[in-house]
Amino acid sequence: MTRARGGKSPEFRPGAWLSGTGPECDIAICTRARLARNLQGFRFSPCQPEAEARALYDFVTARLQQKGLPEQLAVVDLDTLDELERTVLVERHLISRELAGKKCARGVAVDTDEAIAIMVNEEDHLRVQVFASGLQTEAVWQRTERLDDALMQRLPFATSEEFGFLTSCPTNTGTGLRLSVMLHLPGLVWAEEIDKTTNTAQKIHLAVRGLYGEGSRALGDFYQVSNQVTLGRDERQIQSDVHLAVGKIVQWEREVRQALLRGAARTRTLDRIHRSLGILERAQILTSEEALGCLSALRFGIEEDLISGFSVADVNRALLLSQPGHLQRFTQQRLQPDERDQRRAQLLREVLGCKP
Amino acid sequence: MQYCTACQKAIATIVIMDLSGGAVTGSQHLCPACAEQLGVAQPKVPKFSAEILEDLLGSLKGARGGGRRPTEACPGCGLTPADFRAKGRLGCPRCYETFRGDLLPLLRRIHEAESHRGRLPGRLCAEPPPPDGSGLADLRRRLEEAVRGERYEEAARLRDELRSAERGEGAKP
Repeated sequence: MTRARGGKSPEFRPGAWLSGTGPECDIAICTRARLARNLQGFRFSPCQPEAEARALYDFVTARLQQKGLPEQLAVVDLDTLDELERTVLVERHLISRELAGKKCARGVAVDTDEAIAIMVNEEDHLRVQVFASGLQTEAVWQRTERLDDALMQRLPFATSEEFGFLTSCPTNTGTGLRLSVMLHLPGLVWAEEIDKTTNTAQKIHLAVRGLYGEGSRALGDFYQVSNQVTLGRDERQIQSDVHLAVGKIVQWEREVRQALLRGAARTRTLDRIHRSLGILERAQILTSEEALGCLSALRFGIEEDLISGFSVADVNRALLLSQPGHLQRFTQQRLQPDERDQRRAQLLREVLGCKP
Repeated sequence: MQYCTACQKAIATIVIMDLSGGAVTGSQHLCPACAEQLGVAQPKVPKFSAEILEDLLGSLKGARGGGRRPTEACPGCGLTPADFRAKGRLGCPRCYETFRGDLLPLLRRIHEAESHRGRLPGRLCAEPPPPDGSGLADLRRRLEEAVRGERYEEAARLRDELRSAERGEGAKP
């Protein structure tokens, strides 16, 4: 057992974007910008033969480590990591599941506080990602723009006057920008208003998906809202559209939360929150789905000052560490699913400081 | 106001003129029902203005090459038109020119737009459209708007402007 490693090793400390700080951080967990970029003279990554993928990888990673970039990046070659280590990077949102599972030369360039992660040879040659905690579309876009400016000086990006940045999939053509905000929306989910929110967002060309779980099923009331359109609107327009829409959702969530804490609804809401805390404090077996639900309720209770003794940062850390990859790295054991559920219950008590 | 020359009952809203050598040699005033019965009704406006735009631009794209539906594989990566249509993914940057004809309707469906606005290398910040409206993208946008607003005369004029502007662009070294 390696409990002592817990607090110290960087992989058990959430990235800066999970710090639970920043504007609207009670509801907006973090903001992320993603740019899709490709190089002239190479086939797009999904069509590359192995030798070409290797040549592209070597060319790009050498340039990413040159001096003078506004960010200091360390390149991680994914071939040097085992499957579990790659899963840890997926759970930290530094790489996609697709990149982790690919067989070709591929990697990620990250900075020390995990605010920047550039995937190399994903669906596009480069997927530049910039993170910040809270709702910070403006600051995130500025940092992304600065980095993109520097990358353009070093890498011959494939562009056209008519179509902008050329990408492997036409859904990213144009700016290649996907700006997303991860939101915690227990109020809208509990009050059964979430479908209305999602439908409204879709009407104005925003995509809403669950942050955890497969497909459209959102676990733990965590959602991700992002722009769908990348062509015909410039980056500033996209930034202000997303900011405005997310601001409305945040406001909506606040109003619904207040309604859930008034009159007869209040007791039911408090019951749900305290019941979840009871489970986290006492349960011996916790699936990741149940853990997400309980942690969401606990986070709601903390945000609305209904529960004391816990911080949002604790919950964020618990959310990260309760995922299968982190759980197994933390215990330094390959665990079967039922063993994981048992270990998860124990780990959450430790992270949240609950007395067993 | 004139009554339909066929049924003599309804108000005529359609005038069919016979032209010969530039002169009107005869005319017929019809109501919509009779016109339809006689097979001379106005063609229904297609539901999607994109279709009209496509027709208007058809000859233009043909003239530019690359706008036609491609039949050959991309010279850059070998992706065939069938592959592209099946997967909806492009193989390399050159595919954008090779499959332009298939790509434009696809982009329109996804983004409700077909040309870029925003950053590009060498043009780092988003530029506003030229104030005199002379840019190609702007002409395309105005053409699209004219079609949407069913202002077909203006659309035809814009199409011609676009055609000559594109010829001018093509002539540049």
